[in-house]
Amino acid sequence: MGLVEFAAAKTLASSAVFLFITVLLIAAATRTSTCIVLFAAQCAVITMQVVAMAYLHRSGEALVVAAMVLLVKVLAIPYALLRIRNRLNVPADISASTTAAQSVYIAAALILLAFAVVQPYARAFALDSEMLAVATALVLTGAFLMVSRKKALMQVIGLLVLENGIFLAALTTTFGMPLVIEMGIFFDLLMCVLLMGVFVFRIRDTFEHVDVSRLRRLRG
Amino acid sequence: MTFAIDLLQLLVIVGAAPLLSGVVGRIKARIQNRRGASIFRPYAELRKLFGKEDLVPPTASPLFRLCPVVLFAATLAAAAFIPALHASALLGNTGDFILLVYLLALARFFLILGAMDGGSSFGGMGASREALVSTLAEAPLLLGLVAVSIVAHSTSVTSIVRWAIGRHLFQLSPVHALAFVALALVAIAETGRVPVDNPTTHLELTMIHEAMVLEYSGPSLALIEWANAIKLNLMLALLIALFAPWGIASSASISALAVAAVAYVLKMAVLAISLAVLESSVAKLRMYRVPDLLGVACALSILAVAFTALRR
Repeated sequence: MGLVEFAAAKTLASSAVFLFITVLLIAAATRTSTCIVLFAAQCAVITMQVVAMAYLHRSGEALVVAAMVLLVKVLAIPYALLRIRNRLNVPADISASTTAAQSVYIAAALILLAFAVVQPYARAFALDSEMLAVATALVLTGAFLMVSRKKALMQVIGLLVLENGIFLAALTTTFGMPLVIEMGIFFDLLMCVLLMGVFVFRIRDTFEHVDVSRLRRLRG
Repeated sequence: MTFAIDLLQLLVIVGAAPLLSGVVGRIKARIQNRRGASIFRPYAELRKLFGKEDLVPPTASPLFRLCPVVLFAATLAAAAFIPALHASALLGNTGDFILLVYLLALARFFLILGAMDGGSSFGGMGASREALVSTLAEAPLLLGLVAVSIVAHSTSVTSIVRWAIGRHLFQLSPVHALAFVALALVAIAETGRVPVDNPTTHLELTMIHEAMVLEYSGPSLALIEWANAIKLNLMLALLIALFAPWGIASSASISALAVAAVAYVLKMAVLAISLAVLESSVAKLRMYRVPDLLGVACALSILAVAFTALRR
């Protein structure tokens, strides 16, 4: 019995590391499919974290949230993204404006920045500074992915990583939002991915590529 | 007693090195739907090469014959730093990880010298590529080891291992996770495995290691190939010792050593299988993309070192 509790506590403590690694690997990845799989892995880590939290706080609501994270973010969204990627039929590379190494350096710098920034808040509100730093780092790197990747699909992934950060921030600061709001957010997210999928297809059909840096001119 | 164990340990790393290469080759063959050669083939190859005549190009200097010997000796000395079964090593008290890193660098330096001395254009080409890869790999290798040693409060490989045995998996920090990924990338580059170099190819435009040893034959080639196999075994054993040392005996009893041996074989098997899967599923990188890969390793190791300061 003690062992399960210990494992749950340690899952919480070490999930930060795995999140850091997934976000660094997403920055390093050069293919859209790798990014999607890594995003699924990141959400799987978050699922584990929510389950551990649910166990430690004996909260049934958190278990429901964990199940929704698993269903929506680990399974449904990556599946939809992979399908969109396959059907788009465009080259697999992400065409980033920075090289893989530069992206990792920038992501690493953002992580350190996040650590530096959250220290006073974590001290003032007695929060786990590492988790708060992870949440901030996910928001920052998600935004970075969105501005540095030229493929429309990668911007969807950047947005999803950013949303993961916001979810984590809510989880660490207030132990998650109310269940109804959480459900609403997941539904929005799913709709958002579907809409963006449609939008990416429209971009491809109109311009015959999905490179957003070339969307300079209006076309009917 | 500990001396005997340390010697045995060194013999395991040196003697089992060709076997490891054979096993990796066999698993790769199986993944690619081939039957593959026997896992003992590298031994047969070494025996064959040691029995052959050593041919030296007419343009080469005496250095050409000396280089494989220095290469093998330096690699052997580096292997004496690695605890595989028991938390001590033959040279464990003599030097730290910095010596280990630069013994490997010395070995590589002489390999490059020998390749250029051979006088063929492929040798020079391979040598310049090897120099590029090793220059880029040195920083992440050192920084990764520095990060781990800061956490363990020691620069000696054996004391880092002794420190890590006392912890369990969850007590290892982000530093370890980041340093592990960095060092694993470096190990792939250092030992010339697939995303960086292809150990099986003889296509002159893509190879690094094979191009360098093109002029060598007989016992010299055997020494180079053996040293190369030892290096692979050494890097994997180092990864195991630093990041998953559980099972390594801290006392010199027979039962503890038996457990350590079984754990060592299991962990090596896991690494060999993942290496084979990686080599079969990833295409070799273009030469100009290799700095990118090592840049990623470097960024990870820098972050690992930065984290040691955050975790105080």
